[in-house]
Amino acid sequence: MFKVSFSKQGGFCDKISRRNVLTLGATGLLGGLSLPSMLQMQAVAASAKPARVKSCIFLMLEGGPSHIDMWDLKPNAPSEIRGPFSPISTNVPGTQISEILPMCSKIVDQFTILRSHSHGDNAHQTGRHWVMTGYKPNFPDGQAKGVPFNEHYPSIGSIVSRELGHRGAVPPYIEVPEPLGPGGPGFYGPRYAPFTIETDPVEPTFAVRDLNVVEGIDENRFERRKTLLERANALGAGGGGVGRAKTMDTYYEKALEMVTSPAARRAFNIQGEKSAVRERYGMTSIGQCSLLSRRLVEAGSRFIGVSHGSWDTHFDNFTGHRKALVPPTDQAFSALIEDLDQRGMLDETLVVMMGEMGRTPRINKDAGRDHWSMCQSVILAGGGIKRGAVIGASDDTASYPTTTPYGVQDLLYTILDLMGINPAKIYPDSLGRPVPLVTGGKRIDEIIA
Amino acid sequence: MSPWAGDISYNRSMSQPRVLLITTLLAIVLLPWTVVAVPMISPVEVALVGPESTQQLVVTQETENGLSDLTHEAKYRSKNEAVAIVNEQGIVRPVGEGITEVRVSSSVGTKNIPVRVQGLQNPKPISFRRDIQPILTKAACNSGGCHGKADGQNGFKLSLFGFDDEFDFAAVVKAARGRRVNISAPDRSLFLRKATGDLPHGGGRKIETSGLWYARILRWLREGAKLDEPNELDTVRLEIYPAAASMRHDSGQQLQVFAVDSDGTRRCVTREAEFISNATDVAEVDSSGLVQVSTVPGEAAILARYRGVVSVARVRLPQGGNVARPVLTHPIDVLVWDRFSLLGIRPSELVDDADFLRRVYLDSIGTLPTVEEARAFLSNRALDKREKLIDDLLRRSEYADFWAMKWADILRVDRERIQSNGTIAMTRWLRYQFANNRPYDEFVTAVITAVGSTVSESPAAFYVVHNDAEKMARSISQAFLGVRIECAQCHHHPFEKWGQHDYFAFAGFFTGVKQKKMGAQAQKILDGPGQDLAHPRTQQIVPAAGLGAGPAMIGEDVSRRTVLAAWMTKTTNPFLARMLVNRLWAHYFGRGLADPIDDMRSTNPASNEPLLNMLADRFIENGFDVKKITKFILTSRVYQLSSDVNQSNELDEQNFSHARWKAMSAEVLLDAISQATGISESFNGWPEGYRAIQVWDNRMPNYFFRIFGKPRRVSVCECERGTEPSIAQALHLMNAPETMSKLRSRFGAVRRLVESNLSESEIVDELYLSTLSRFPTTDERELMVGVFDDPVSSRQTAVEDILWTLINTREFVFNH
Repeated sequence: MFKVSFSKQGGFCDKISRRNVLTLGATGLLGGLSLPSMLQMQAVAASAKPARVKSCIFLMLEGGPSHIDMWDLKPNAPSEIRGPFSPISTNVPGTQISEILPMCSKIVDQFTILRSHSHGDNAHQTGRHWVMTGYKPNFPDGQAKGVPFNEHYPSIGSIVSRELGHRGAVPPYIEVPEPLGPGGPGFYGPRYAPFTIETDPVEPTFAVRDLNVVEGIDENRFERRKTLLERANALGAGGGGVGRAKTMDTYYEKALEMVTSPAARRAFNIQGEKSAVRERYGMTSIGQCSLLSRRLVEAGSRFIGVSHGSWDTHFDNFTGHRKALVPPTDQAFSALIEDLDQRGMLDETLVVMMGEMGRTPRINKDAGRDHWSMCQSVILAGGGIKRGAVIGASDDTASYPTTTPYGVQDLLYTILDLMGINPAKIYPDSLGRPVPLVTGGKRIDEIIA
Repeated sequence: MSPWAGDISYNRSMSQPRVLLITTLLAIVLLPWTVVAVPMISPVEVALVGPESTQQLVVTQETENGLSDLTHEAKYRSKNEAVAIVNEQGIVRPVGEGITEVRVSSSVGTKNIPVRVQGLQNPKPISFRRDIQPILTKAACNSGGCHGKADGQNGFKLSLFGFDDEFDFAAVVKAARGRRVNISAPDRSLFLRKATGDLPHGGGRKIETSGLWYARILRWLREGAKLDEPNELDTVRLEIYPAAASMRHDSGQQLQVFAVDSDGTRRCVTREAEFISNATDVAEVDSSGLVQVSTVPGEAAILARYRGVVSVARVRLPQGGNVARPVLTHPIDVLVWDRFSLLGIRPSELVDDADFLRRVYLDSIGTLPTVEEARAFLSNRALDKREKLIDDLLRRSEYADFWAMKWADILRVDRERIQSNGTIAMTRWLRYQFANNRPYDEFVTAVITAVGSTVSESPAAFYVVHNDAEKMARSISQAFLGVRIECAQCHHHPFEKWGQHDYFAFAGFFTGVKQKKMGAQAQKILDGPGQDLAHPRTQQIVPAAGLGAGPAMIGEDVSRRTVLAAWMTKTTNPFLARMLVNRLWAHYFGRGLADPIDDMRSTNPASNEPLLNMLADRFIENGFDVKKITKFILTSRVYQLSSDVNQSNELDEQNFSHARWKAMSAEVLLDAISQATGISESFNGWPEGYRAIQVWDNRMPNYFFRIFGKPRRVSVCECERGTEPSIAQALHLMNAPETMSKLRSRFGAVRRLVESNLSESEIVDELYLSTLSRFPTTDERELMVGVFDDPVSSRQTAVEDILWTLINTREFVFNH
């Protein structure tokens, strides 16, 4: 794995010094890293760009939400395509979305609907890998069972975590309420892995693993232990701390801060939130995960990945969307945007909501819709994104974009760019091959305010 | 201009201003009284052939401590600027045919270098292969981040690193309906205007219009943008000057690279060569070939690459001071202390018994010593107790468990691919090999030639995990030979001699492997005849061959893999033994002699080549006996150095002058916690009493394994095992309810001590011995006994808190 030592020149996590970047090439993994790319890395490291966007909340609707039933309705399409939902007007004149999104329809002036996302990978695992990492996986769909399953390429969350690092007492990259399949750090290694909260904040017993000191250890006793540990470390070997041991010391400091700092504890203590606020988000998984995300952004987290599913409606697509899937999502998303806006956090926080694909325009024999990746709608809000815009358009059946199609790499490029991260930055993988944060892709200027 | 924008620009008005000239002249007048030496200048005479040729001058001074570079402080002046000009960096460029001299003035004197310029009036036509491709490589046009990546960049695709001249020529001249070149108005060619940034170019400006690269490309376009015949003027070798340099810290050294072509032509290609350092903590190198060393003592190999040919210059950075040499009897130590003396590094002291004990247990058997073992060893007065301990450990059953686990990682024993039965079978087979100390050549032969059922104890499942010939070849090459032949699958290996030819020749050994399904959970591995593979570009059949070896003789009645195994395990094989001893070294020292361990090549030499060679030779002489070579390593003084550093060796990373702080692997750490608390881990669905190093299931869902980086076995690279700390790890060690319940268990160590009639001081001794394998110091004992005095603590909570604390100390979490 990489050895980016926190030496004199380096800061904590977010600032990699020039020598450290070069060390990447040498200690682990020289092979394949050409000089120009080293220099590129060097130059990139030297030019960290301050950005307005400090955090990203990524709502992953796993399984693939139906764009044609939610954001991109085709009321004039034949009945075997258009489905039973009617478009309704929104608070932006001329923009219509589905009647099953009443709450979002009142705040369309706050976000952008990108209707021309298209990528062509029609399977769940491989599609999600593609969406979350920007690289095609090297396994066939259904073959990856591990969590996380992106074994080689880092997820967008790990990239953000590596580039931006800590901003407060909470970890930079958090996943809730379960690990995202391809949310792992890939060849970046465990240091950039998400901190996964594997319980659902909607549960009354919600508690973050290892965060609360166990029963019987009250604050005073934990404080005594902490002091004892400091003294024991000072007396024991490696007092000054070198190499990895020193890094571990730093992580202990961070971990202790998480356990003991009021800010971190407050952030995770969703039970302490006003019940009116909790109910505004909805007492649902996605509702409470969204609320927790907002709290974590406040506490300084950089990237929060929320998974919500399953949107894979091969059967009874319409009942599924109307009853189980869309209402909590409608409520949660609208509450999140409103809340961020009211708190003055929306400009600094980028919110992205999407699935790994859309759903087939043609309704199948089970009243379901199947996998469709050639066209889907992505919802973006906050940090530098236009408010109240509809960007891109699809054809009469919502099958293909009729405007410039934007792909996975364009989207990841845009997210990183908005966060002040150079998407062309390169790290060598374990074989020494240069892997850019995003290969190719362009900034989607149309969605940027 | 960005730092990598390529070409250099010359400007006649840049020649020395008058004031400087006067200063220089004054210096020359004054100097002879103080200095006797004259600068050494390479080359002694300059021959420039062709309008775009250049010559980098290198000016050095010989001092007691080696060479001292003056290239960038010297002043240069051409006597006749109508023939040649020279810039501040000492690069000479032709202007007109003829003869002149360059006057080189430096603090140690002045010298005139004759310059001859030819081939300007009727220049040789530009060769795309020889003259254009290196520019595209150096300017990074064909790099993996730009047009060299699989799908090119914005519709323009070049072969990665320019390995395919025909393809690249077509891409530049013919593709996109030839719109990239404009033969009638060459300077209007898109190809040039993009590269110079005249038209918007995502990659920025790569070539300066005032430079020679521009001139060369322009001339090539004017001459009709042709592709020359292949192999006409192949570069056969690179010569670097200086080939070895001993430097003072924080100093620089300009390198000079000559390409020698098959026709004997020798020309300076410093401007077109790429440079890479293998040890950037010691020395960095920039694109002009200027090496800059730091303050970290050691050696770096600076690789130069030009047209797929590579060569290295060795740069050494000693630090001053004499190093006392103890009486050394161990052959390893003799070679290690040679390095210390050479580099002026004073090593750490010999480690004390307690730290040695803990280190050698964790390193060799992945297990903490028990309190009883620690007491026995610490009180033992025998002089040879360390050696005896090593012997004992290598006989332990945990040795087999631990090394079977390690090799199951390397050989990718993955339940996801070979099901539980296959995983168990192969793990058992591995365990048996290490328990019985099977000679490594036999072990390797068994893996290479495995046949039979994947559910019988054998390594056959390797060929299910790796299910095609190329994958097998890549993994075998990397794991056993330390060669990343994978790089040569699609292009010439960027830092080695290996090309696609070598890759497909090696993969040809595995084309006979056949799989037959036997029921739901088993496969049978068989050998068919197989066939040689075709080179994907030329379509020529490449006969199966070992790396760097001639075509293998494959008889009718032997399998291809048998022939390969015979080649690999021959005592003259240049890779196998070196790889294994380097792997062992990396395991015990936390870093390989060659680093990374699976990237061994002439251009990435070991930090102590004589030592690596000696170990490999000895391993072969001892019949590939793994335990014997392990004992040989562990009994050396260098293995038994303390991790406490001194001022002289604190920066040393490559010479093993102090022990490293090594991360414990997930399994070892979990076992250590279980042992210290006296409560074994219960793995979901497994019988009680298994230790983590015995768990064969690499896909077992286990939070501890996941956050501490137990490998998933998706690669043969040991680097897959995460060794980096994280917050989740720290949190888990502090607050995991699992650890708490171990501390509180009625059957655990805490309760036993609480209920014993040991004094508080004796309890503290026990706790230190069970976690850190040592007695507490006076201060530590005082600190911990004090916990019992705390009015709010009971005996139970005090012991819990002390053990919790010790488990969370860095001394516990790391092996040092």
